Amino acid sequence: MIVSLECKKLKRTGFKAAFFGGGILAAAVPALNMAFRSEAYLSMDAPPVKILLNANWQMMAMLNVLLIVAGACILYHIEYADHAIRKMRTLPFSESAVFFGKTAVLVSACILLLAIEAASIFGCSVHWFGPAAGLYREILKNFGFFLLLMLPAILLSLAAASVCRNMWTALGTGVVCVFAATMIPAQNFALSLFPFALPFRTFSDLSGSAARNYAIAGAAETVGAAALAILILKIRRSFE
Amino acid sequence: MNIIETQNLTKTYGDFTAVSGISLHVPKGTVYGFLGPNGAGKSTTMKLFLGLTQPTGGSFVIDGKRFPGGRVQILKEVGSFIEAPAFYGNLTGEENLEIIRRILGLPRSSVADALELTGLTQHRRKLAKKYSIGMKQRLGLAGALIGRPPVLILDEPTNGLDPVGIHEIRSLIRSLPQQFGCTVFVSSHLLSEMELMADNIGILNHGRLLFEGTLDDLKSSAAAQGCPTGSLEDTFLAMIDADNRQRGGAR
Ligand SMILES: Nc1ncnc2c1ncn2[C@@H]1O[C@H](COP(=O)(O)OP(=O)(O)OP(=O)(O)O)[C@@H](O)[C@H]1O
Ligand SMILES: [Mg+2]
Repeated sequence: MIVSLECKKLKRTGFKAAFFGGGILAAAVPALNMAFRSEAYLSMDAPPVKILLNANWQMMAMLNVLLIVAGACILYHIEYADHAIRKMRTLPFSESAVFFGKTAVLVSACILLLAIEAASIFGCSVHWFGPAAGLYREILKNFGFFLLLMLPAILLSLAAASVCRNMWTALGTGVVCVFAATMIPAQNFALSLFPFALPFRTFSDLSGSAARNYAIAGAAETVGAAALAILILKIRRSFE
Repeated sequence: MNIIETQNLTKTYGDFTAVSGISLHVPKGTVYGFLGPNGAGKSTTMKLFLGLTQPTGGSFVIDGKRFPGGRVQILKEVGSFIEAPAFYGNLTGEENLEIIRRILGLPRSSVADALELTGLTQHRRKLAKKYSIGMKQRLGLAGALIGRPPVLILDEPTNGLDPVGIHEIRSLIRSLPQQFGCTVFVSSHLLSEMELMADNIGILNHGRLLFEGTLDDLKSSAAAQGCPTGSLEDTFLAMIDADNRQRGGAR
């Protein structure tokens, strides 16, 4: 119920268009890359999905995280712009329900985003490398991994957006975090656990144990971020 | 029976006391006018009722539910409109009310009913951010009236309305207790309106309750204090002035 309510609130904000357009844009990255430099990639000796993700994922992940930050800002901007949240606070349901409703909306939007991107990787793989056995599984594994590693960034962006009455503050903070994340060296495991850096990791590029470590970190950060968000909402409530 | 009752309700911000130990008694099925100069603490009291801000002392009961334990129960029974209207600018008036309706679990027809009550029916498909000030105010009122809750808390509901609107809202508020058994707790600076609308009156100054009772009680108590009794306005001004002078003298 709360999720469909949150969807209703998003009418005319351009939220859906942003994610759909963003998905198309990200999907175009591997296609264009292959179209112009296919010889370079076709000569590589590795599974197609791994080649494609290695070549394109940094760019695509960047788009994804920026969309997450912008989406979180839109989701809370509608509450603050005309003070709707003040009315919501006088209704019999909790602010954390609103928060997790918005989380569900943003996660769904990200699933849509990833689905468009997965379709593009699949298409590129079949078109340029030819059909291969186990392609579906490989793509599913990779994109499931991406989704898990996105969750902490989703929760933290929403928490930031819920704190900042002014959308630009939240947007600015988020963008700074994203750019900081792109500067983090991938070799340093501890640093690469920065929530906004996680979505840049690819499953097929990691060894089994490294992938497992990242998955555990992603899950732990998700739980931590959710707890932090609840705490923020509670504390703010008692200060007003 | 009192549907709202407070005991020594207090709210301080740092070392500033916005609401100072007030004990209000609002009988069920009446219109209660809450008066006081700017900064007297009217809005703060209303925010306390809704749990928008936490009391620093005292307690209150609304329809048998005590705060803070009964907060959610209280919110289910209270329709409120506090200070400025609050709405989703990207949604139409109708869509805004639809959101509130779904949260409260009210029947579908209650949206049309609230639009009709506040005279917004013909503007229901317009975006709320494109509404005029008076229309936004009406939308805020519709959000409070939707589902016709047993208790209404209205903070300066006629702010920004045209004379016709003021008259309509006043008649509406006046009719609510008889028609639906609602209790209305309303603040306003329009004293002549209050005189026509309220059964009981509470007067607040600097967070303290100066008077509580019916308009007739107010007249007799004012006469006893040597204040003018011609109109509510005269009495109000004289009482506030006397209280301010007393406070000044005490300092
Ligand atoms: N969050 C806050 N922090 C500090 N002081 C506050 C806060 N909210 C209100 N106050 C103070 O509390 C006092 C009462 O404010 P309140 O809004 O209740 O007045 P009011 O009676 O509604 O006045 P008005 O008629 O102007 O609406 C004011 O002096 C105000 O400055
Ligand atoms: Mg006020």
